[in-house]
Amino acid sequence: MDRIQNAALLLRLIERLREQGSWCGETHVQKATYFLQDLMRVPTPFEFILYKHGPFSFELRDELTALRADGLIDLEPQWPYGPRIVLTGRSAYIKEISSRTLAKYDDRIAFVADRLGDRGVVDLERLATALYVTKRTHARCSAEERAEELRRLKPHITPESAGSAVAEVDKLVEEAEKLAD
Amino acid sequence: MPKNIHEIRDPVHAFVRLDSHERGVLNSRPFQRLRHIHQLGLTYLLYPAATHKRFEHSLGVMELASRVFDVVTTPGNVTDEIRRRLPQLEREDERRYWRRIIRVAALCHDVGHLPFSHAAETTLLPEGWHHERLTREIILSDEMESIWEMITPPLRPEDIVKLAIGPKKARDMEFSDWETILAEIIVGDAFGVDRMDYLLRDSHHLGVAYGRFDHYRLIDTLRILPSPPSGRNDEVRQTQRGTEEHGTREAEVGQEEEARCVELGIEEGGIHSAEALLLARYFMYTQVYFHPVRRVYDIHLQDFLKAWLSDRLFSTNLEQHLKMTDNEITAALLEVAFDPSKAGYEHARRIVQRQHFKVIYQRNPNDININPEAGSAVYRALTSRFGEEHFRCDRCVQKGGAPDFPVQLRDGQIVSSLALSETLKNVPIVSIDFVFSSREKYEEASRWLEEHRAEIIRPTREDERNG
Repeated sequence: MDRIQNAALLLRLIERLREQGSWCGETHVQKATYFLQDLMRVPTPFEFILYKHGPFSFELRDELTALRADGLIDLEPQWPYGPRIVLTGRSAYIKEISSRTLAKYDDRIAFVADRLGDRGVVDLERLATALYVTKRTHARCSAEERAEELRRLKPHITPESAGSAVAEVDKLVEEAEKLAD
Repeated sequence: MPKNIHEIRDPVHAFVRLDSHERGVLNSRPFQRLRHIHQLGLTYLLYPAATHKRFEHSLGVMELASRVFDVVTTPGNVTDEIRRRLPQLEREDERRYWRRIIRVAALCHDVGHLPFSHAAETTLLPEGWHHERLTREIILSDEMESIWEMITPPLRPEDIVKLAIGPKKARDMEFSDWETILAEIIVGDAFGVDRMDYLLRDSHHLGVAYGRFDHYRLIDTLRILPSPPSGRNDEVRQTQRGTEEHGTREAEVGQEEEARCVELGIEEGGIHSAEALLLARYFMYTQVYFHPVRRVYDIHLQDFLKAWLSDRLFSTNLEQHLKMTDNEITAALLEVAFDPSKAGYEHARRIVQRQHFKVIYQRNPNDININPEAGSAVYRALTSRFGEEHFRCDRCVQKGGAPDFPVQLRDGQIVSSLALSETLKNVPIVSIDFVFSSREKYEEASRWLEEHRAEIIRPTREDERNG
C-alpha cells in the first residue's frame, strides 16, 4: 500500500469511530488501529510496542502528525480533556481516490469501529493489552495464564477485569476469523 | 586532597560540573570521539559558526537532565498520588542511584552518532541499524562496562541504555513507569533536555536568536503529573443526542483515574515558557534544520559516502565505528573533490566547490490542497523526463505527536495543555518536500515544470498510481 491508501484507511477508521460515538482521541485511534492491523490483518505498516496505555506505535503517531500537516485531520480541544481527532473537508478526496482499497477493507474497519467505538481508554487499554499478550504467546497459554501476564504488565488492572478482557479478546478473534472466511 | 568535582566552562550553561566517576566516562574513547563529530553536520557551509560538536552538547544534556531530575523529585513538588505510583521517589538510595543513571545516560546518549551526525544516517547503515542502536552497543561494551562497575553502587548498563535511547528505540526492552518518565526527561517529545540543549546551543553558535526560550523558568515548573483526562464517550453521545441527561458512570471514572499514566507536565505558571520552547523548535526547524541548502548538502554527502565507503555502508563494528569521525571524511572530501579519477568525485566537488543542487520545487499550501504527495509526483515526472542523476528529493515531516501534556492549574486540577493554550494548538507542523535539480539542468527543467505543473500534481486514483 502507498501512503495515500494507508492515509485513506486511517481517515475511514476515524470517521467510523466517531460515527459510533467514540471520543476519538489519539489513544482511541492507536488502539483501534492496533486491532485493525493485528486482529483484522489489514496491512497498515505500523510497529506496535507495549507503552503507557498498552500497545502503541510511534510510527502511527508520526503519521497522524503528517496527516495534520497535510490538513487532512485536525485536533479539537475540549476543556479540560485531551483533544479529539476530527476529519477536515480535504479528507474526502483522499478517500475518493482510494475507493478500491476502502471497499476491500471496509467491513473490517466497520467491525473494529463497531466493537471498540463506544469504549473508553480504560477498556481499550485492557483489551488491546490482552490482544497483545494473546498474539505474543500465540494463544499457546491458557486464558488464566494470559490474564496473569496482563496483570504483570498492567498491575492496576484487577484479576476479574484481566480475565474478562482475555475472554473478550478470544471471542473477538473468533469473530474476526469468521469474517475473514 | 584530590579534587572530586570538576568544572568545565560552557557557553550555554556557564559551568558543567561532574565528579571523578563521570570524568571517567568523559575520558573514555567513545566519548572523546564526540569532539570530532559536528553537531549540525555540514551546516557550517551556510552558517559559518556552526562548528560546535556533539561533545559539548552531551555535557549540556547531562547538566540539564540532572537539573530537571532534581526539580521533579524534590519532595515538595511531588503529590501523594505520584509518590504512591512511583515508590522510587520515597527511597533516598534509589533516588541517588537513578540520579547517577540519568546523568551518565545523558552523557552517553549520542556516542553512537555517525560522522556528521544525522547527515548520513538514513541510508548508510545496514537495515535495522540507527545511531541509537550503536549507542546501545557502546554502553554495553566491555570498555564501558568496566567504568560502570567501578562506580558505587555499580550501574546496571541496561538501565543506562533505557534512559539514553528511550522506549522508541529500545523496543525489545520493558520500561516501568519510572523508567519511562526518566527517559522522557532526556529524549521526550515535549520537554526532553536533548532538545532543550540543542535549541539553545545551536541558537548560540549559529547566531540565530529564534532558538532561545526561558529554560530556567520552564525547568523550574516541570512536574511529574497524571496524564490529562480523556473525554468519555458517554459525553459524546449526550452531545450528539442533545439531551440534558448526565449519566455519571462513577465506577468507570474511578477506574480511569487509576489507569491514567504519569508523565512530564508543568505547573500552570510555566505554560508560556512551554509555548516559547515549542515556538523555538518551530522556528529553528524552518530556519535552520530544514533549510533547503543545508538539506541538499546532506544529500550530496550521502551520495559521496555511498561511492567512497567500502560496501557503500558505515561499519557497525564498534572498533571501526570509533575510528571513523568527521576528520577522516573531511580529508577524503578535500582530496577527492579535485581528482576526477576518484570514486565520488562529482559529489565531493559539489560540496567542496559549493556547486550544490538548487531547489526546483517545494511544498506549498496550494499544491498540498490538491495533492499531499505533490513533491513525489514532481520528482517522478522530472526524473522520467531528464534522468535520475539530475534530481534529488527530500521529504520530511516533524516527528512526534501534538504537544499534549498535563498542566496543573493553581487549584490542583489537571488539564490538557491543548485545552489551555491556543498558542500550542496553533504551532504549525514543520513539513518539507523539496525537489532539487543540478545546475546544469535547472533552467530547462524549470521551464518544463512550469508548463506541466498542473497536470503533474493532479491527484491520481489508486488504479492509475499502482496499475
